[in-house]
Amino acid sequence: MPITRRQFTAGSGLALAGLSARSAFGADDPIEAEDLLASQIVDTSRFKRPGPYTVGVSAGYLATSWIVYERQYIQWAADQHKADVRQLIITDAGFNPQKQVSDIEDLMRQKIDLLIYWPVDEKTLTGTLTRVIERGVPTVNVFGGFSASPGTVANAYISQLRLSELVASELMKSIGGKGRIVAVLPIPGSQEAADQLTGLKRVLKDNPGVELLNISYGSYDRAKSKQIMENLLQRYPKIDGVFSPSGHMNLGIVEAIEDAGRLGQIKMSPGDELNGWLKWVARNKTAGAVTFTPSIGKVGLELGLRILKGEPVPRGERVPSEYITPEKAVAIADASAPDDAWAGPLPREFRPR
Amino acid sequence: MTSIDREGGRLLVTRLATPLVLAAMYGIAAAVSDAFLDPSYVLNLFRQVAPVGIAAIGVTYVMILGEVDLSVGAVISASVVVCASVMDGDATRIPLAIGATCLLGLSIGAVNGVLVAYGRVSSFILTLGIALAVTGLTQVYSGGTSHGIVAPGFREFLNARLWGVVPILGLCLVAFVAVGVTYQRTSAFGRRLYLIGSNRTAAQLSGLPVARTIIWAYMLSGLLGSFAGMAMIVRSGASGTLTGQGLEFQVLAAVVLGGTTFEGGRGGVGGTIAGCFILLIAFNLVILAGLSSYPQLIVMGAIIISASAIQSRFAGPPR
Repeated sequence: MPITRRQFTAGSGLALAGLSARSAFGADDPIEAEDLLASQIVDTSRFKRPGPYTVGVSAGYLATSWIVYERQYIQWAADQHKADVRQLIITDAGFNPQKQVSDIEDLMRQKIDLLIYWPVDEKTLTGTLTRVIERGVPTVNVFGGFSASPGTVANAYISQLRLSELVASELMKSIGGKGRIVAVLPIPGSQEAADQLTGLKRVLKDNPGVELLNISYGSYDRAKSKQIMENLLQRYPKIDGVFSPSGHMNLGIVEAIEDAGRLGQIKMSPGDELNGWLKWVARNKTAGAVTFTPSIGKVGLELGLRILKGEPVPRGERVPSEYITPEKAVAIADASAPDDAWAGPLPREFRPR
Repeated sequence: MTSIDREGGRLLVTRLATPLVLAAMYGIAAAVSDAFLDPSYVLNLFRQVAPVGIAAIGVTYVMILGEVDLSVGAVISASVVVCASVMDGDATRIPLAIGATCLLGLSIGAVNGVLVAYGRVSSFILTLGIALAVTGLTQVYSGGTSHGIVAPGFREFLNARLWGVVPILGLCLVAFVAVGVTYQRTSAFGRRLYLIGSNRTAAQLSGLPVARTIIWAYMLSGLLGSFAGMAMIVRSGASGTLTGQGLEFQVLAAVVLGGTTFEGGRGGVGGTIAGCFILLIAFNLVILAGLSSYPQLIVMGAIIISASAIQSRFAGPPR
C-alpha cells in the first residue's frame, strides 16, 4: 500500500528504533529486517514530472575500479534511455565529505531532476539529502548497501548479509563442514565488514564443527592482505579455510598461501567477480566467486527514472548475488584484460580505458 | 676516562640508539612468538619492508637537509601505474618500463627540488601540493582504475627465493640500503647534507652548493620512490591508482623513529631502516600474538611510542 512522506519518515524512524531495540536483545533476523524496510513502497507521485531529465551523480570518490565500473554502468544506462536522459552530470568529491555536500548543492543549482549518489560519509550527507528531497528531487543510493536514511528515497542495493552467507556456505561445503578457518574482512568499522561478519557467524551456527580462529581486516588492500596472511600462516600451523568475499584481498591471500607451500591444504572462499580473481579461479579450478556487481549503477538510474515517471517503487531494489562456479569462471575470465576489470554485461565501448 | 672518551662513547650510543631498540624489540618479539626464530619468516620481513624501506632511503636524505617530502606516496602510486602501463603485459618491455618509471620519479623529484631550493614555500606545503597534483594526474591518466598489465616473469622473478629461502626482493632492499648508506657516508653529497642541515646560512656563506644539493636530494627521493613503486607491484601485483596512498606517513614515521629529525643535520639511512623494521615488527607482532583487530591498534601505538621514547633517551636531544 503506498505511504505518504510523513508516514514514511515516521515509519522509518520507528522501524529503525525497533530494529535497534530488538537487535539489542538478539531477537530479530537482520535479513528479514532489511527486507522489511526494502519492501516498503514509496509514494513517488510528488516527484513526477515530464522528461527529458537532467540527472546528477554525486560520487563520493572515483578512485576504485568497482566505483569506476559503476559509473560506466550509469553512463551505459543513460545512453540506453537517451529519450529520457537529457544530460548526465557527474561530480567527484575525492573522499572529502564536505566537498560532497558542496557538489550536491552545485548539482541542485544546475536544476537536476534526479540525484544518484554514493557517499563518503552518509551521516554528513543526511541533512543535505533531506533538503534535496524537500525541493522535489528524488535521491537514489547506489553505494552497494541499503540505506534507511531519511535522505534516501530509494536504493539499488546488494544484500551483504545474503552475499556473505552464500560465500560462507560455499566455504563450509569445500571444507566438509569441519575444520579451522580465518576471516579477512574489509575496512574495520565499516557496514560491509559488520554485515559480512554477521553473515559468516550465522552460517557458523549451522556448522558447529568449524572453528573461527581469527578475524583480520585487509581493507580491500592486496598487499596488506598478503602481509596479514603471511602472519596468520605463521601463527596457526593448521588452517583449513579462509573466508574473504573480496577478490582484491583474495589475490594477496592466495599469494601468501602459495608462497608458504600450503595451497593444497587451505580452501579459499569465493571472492567477487574481479577479473584478476576470476583468472586465478579459472587457473586453479577452485573457490569460485559470488557477484557484487557494479551494474547496480544501471539499476539505480532506471529506478530513478521510474520515480520521475511517478511509478511506485520499492524502497530497496535488490540486485541478487549469484555464485560463479570455477567452471564458469573459465568462460568469463578475460586473460587480455587487467586484473582490476570487472566481469559483467557492460559493453566494450563503455568499459574504462 | 677522559672527556674525549666520554664524548666518543656518547656519540656511539647516539648512532646505535635505533638499532639497539630494534634488537631489544626483536628479542621481545621472539619471546612472544617463535616465528621470529624461523629464518624463512625473518627473511620474509625483508621482503615485506622493501617498498617502505626503499622509499625511506630517499626521504632520509631530504630530511637530513631539514626539509620534508610528502609526495612520496603519490610518486609510488604514479610509478605503479606508469610501470604497469608501459610493460603492457610484454616481457620485452620491462627495461623500457623501468626506465620510464625512473624518469618519472626523477622528474617529480626535480620539480620538488627546484621549487624548494628557489621558492619561498615551505617544503611541507609544497610537497603536499605536489602530492595532490600527482595523484590527480595519475587518476586522469588511468581513468580512476588500474592501468596496464604487469609483464609475465617480472613479479615471478622478484618474488622468488634463492635456494628456496632468501627472497630476491629482500636482497634488492639490502642492496639499496648498502648503496644508500655508502653514498651518505663517503660522498661529498652526503657530507653536504649534514652541513646544510645543521646550519644552512653557514653552509651558504661557506660557498657550498646548497640549491644543487637540495635539488639532487629531492631527485633521489623521487627516484627511490619510483623503485618503491616497482617493489609494490612485486608485492601486490596490482597497478591500482591508490597503491601508495598513506605510505608517506609510514615512511616519515620510520625516518623519524630512525633518528632523523625534522630539524635536520642528524640521522641516517641505517637508523631509518631500523625504524622501518621496528614498525613492521610492531604490526606483525600483534597479529602473531593472536590479538583481535581493535586492540591491535592500541598495542601497535604503544609499541611505537615506547620505541620512540627509548630511542630519544639514548640519542639525546637535538643539538
